[in-house]
Amino acid sequence: MWTTVLVSGISLGSFYTLIALGFALIFGVTRNFNLAHGELLVLAGYVAYWLWKVCALPFVFTFPVAILVLLLVCLGLQRLFARLSEPLELNSIVLSFGVAIVIQNSMLFLFSGNYRLIRIPSLNQGIRFHGFYMSYGQLTLLLLSLIIIFLLYIIMYRTYLGKALRATIQDKEAAALAGINVAVMGTLAFCLGAVLIGLAGPLYGCIHYLYPSTGREVTLLAITITIFAGVGRLSGIILAGWILGLAESFTVIFCGASWREMVAAVLLLTLLTFRPHGILGDKL
Amino acid sequence: MINSSLIKNSRYGLSKRLKLDKVVLLMALFFLLLLPVLVWHNDYILQVFTHALLLATLALAWNILGVSGSISLGHAAFFGAGAYASALLSLDSGLSVWLTIPLAGFITTGLGFIMGLICMRLRGAYFALATLAFIEIPRVVTDNWDGLTHGSLGLVGLPGFPSLHLGSWHIDFYSSITASYYLILIYSLVLLGLVGFIFRSNLGLALQAIREEEVAAEAVGIRANSFRLLSMLLSAFFTGISGACYAHLVRYINPGLVYGLHFSAIPMIFAICGGRFTIIGPALAALIIYPLDQFIFHPLIPAGHEFLYGAVLIFAVLFMPAGFWGRMQRNTEVGLFTKSSSSGI
Repeated sequence: MWTTVLVSGISLGSFYTLIALGFALIFGVTRNFNLAHGELLVLAGYVAYWLWKVCALPFVFTFPVAILVLLLVCLGLQRLFARLSEPLELNSIVLSFGVAIVIQNSMLFLFSGNYRLIRIPSLNQGIRFHGFYMSYGQLTLLLLSLIIIFLLYIIMYRTYLGKALRATIQDKEAAALAGINVAVMGTLAFCLGAVLIGLAGPLYGCIHYLYPSTGREVTLLAITITIFAGVGRLSGIILAGWILGLAESFTVIFCGASWREMVAAVLLLTLLTFRPHGILGDKL
Repeated sequence: MINSSLIKNSRYGLSKRLKLDKVVLLMALFFLLLLPVLVWHNDYILQVFTHALLLATLALAWNILGVSGSISLGHAAFFGAGAYASALLSLDSGLSVWLTIPLAGFITTGLGFIMGLICMRLRGAYFALATLAFIEIPRVVTDNWDGLTHGSLGLVGLPGFPSLHLGSWHIDFYSSITASYYLILIYSLVLLGLVGFIFRSNLGLALQAIREEEVAAEAVGIRANSFRLLSMLLSAFFTGISGACYAHLVRYINPGLVYGLHFSAIPMIFAICGGRFTIIGPALAALIIYPLDQFIFHPLIPAGHEFLYGAVLIFAVLFMPAGFWGRMQRNTEVGLFTKSSSSGI
């Protein structure tokens, strides 16, 4: 029982971290909440599904195309968000809410509401080890997520560009004073976010049914993890992702699968009631 | 130097413009009152407008909270709670629908109180996110508490509005769409009057003060949290009643429907597009945009026609923050959100 919770919690949690990273990056740099995040993820999933199913592309090649599509969409989004005025958080919530509805209905129009799944049979087998079972799917999820998070860590903490991004996250005005082009940083954040969503989308299509309105819960997950972690700390997001993954696995195994959707919501509400500036982060 | 805008806003100019507004409103009222006659009792058109009026009441109720500057993305929680409360009360205990609807309103107010306790200390974006998260709780509970709510299958065969006997008149809501239409029309006009009364009262003034500059309002003695909680309770009450009316109009509800995005996003969209700072703006937006969606876009794009709501919201946020009715009322001196502080607490 407990190993199942642990295995599924950590692998799912790493994936949730990957999902939330794009959202947290965009929010950190530009202070725009992107409520269309879930819909963008599902869009990437749909693109991968279409390529895999209709164009018979091998699954690995769907990643670059999904990233490209997401880059285009996110650059367009960034143009919209750039027109907003203060207060940015609230305006961006309302704007991205509208964008989410538009994207959701576009997907409904393009792909219909039928449930889709990218079935890769080899992912269902797994490794058994003294009563410990991990499917290849979970293993792939865990490894891929960790690799991508590690790459992002290298970008953010070991390059000059990452330093500029982190500076913008900490204090936009001070970064501008230091000579960093904040507008370019914002566009860059959107692009990085697009890449992360483009990487996570096809994976999402493998583990979860794709239908237009599934973006809602993904957005809630991303919001919960970002607020949990506070702004500006990668480690916080990883920790938050794992905690959420473990909490969800625990709920599913001990209370039943139908209560899973409430976990993120309850966690978010508890956070907002008691510690709105995050568990590990600084004041938002 | 005389500022020309001063002259435009002077008494003379203002009174001329006000007349145009009043004419538009009067025409709209006549149109709505005479609609069944105008469309020769076409059931489909009447049903669309009945639903539009119901959404208008939702938008008006949403705006009671919206006028205090709080954007709630989670009013579907109240809508669904009201629908389910009234449905369960009228199904299981056989109470008359006329009784269960106000009771559902009060139950929803209780839910609003709980939401208020959780969310009241939050501001702006974090309040919106908290309300977005809050929908999940009643929804998942309704979905899973099979013993009480019959789970995700929903409730069928809900009683409709009971027939009324007024003297020699016999109004049967089952068979007559026109009767349901007039019922909802009367409800929306009553709600409009109530909302107008609230907005023009001291409560309305306090809420607007909180919206404009909360710190100054607190300095004057207006306790922001208390007034916002009160506006949330009122908003929840009327949203619950609208939900109950919906349940007995349509006579079938399920959790995915009544807690869904449709009833959560659309009142907000109508309020923002119509005019958050006005009384009637949200209702007008509902009466224009919803029939537009149903009559023109739905036949054109059977799947995905609801993108219209997202599109008008994006347009309103970027280009007409005061809403089209607010623009007509020259409420353009305020942006979409006038609060200068945007942090959570």
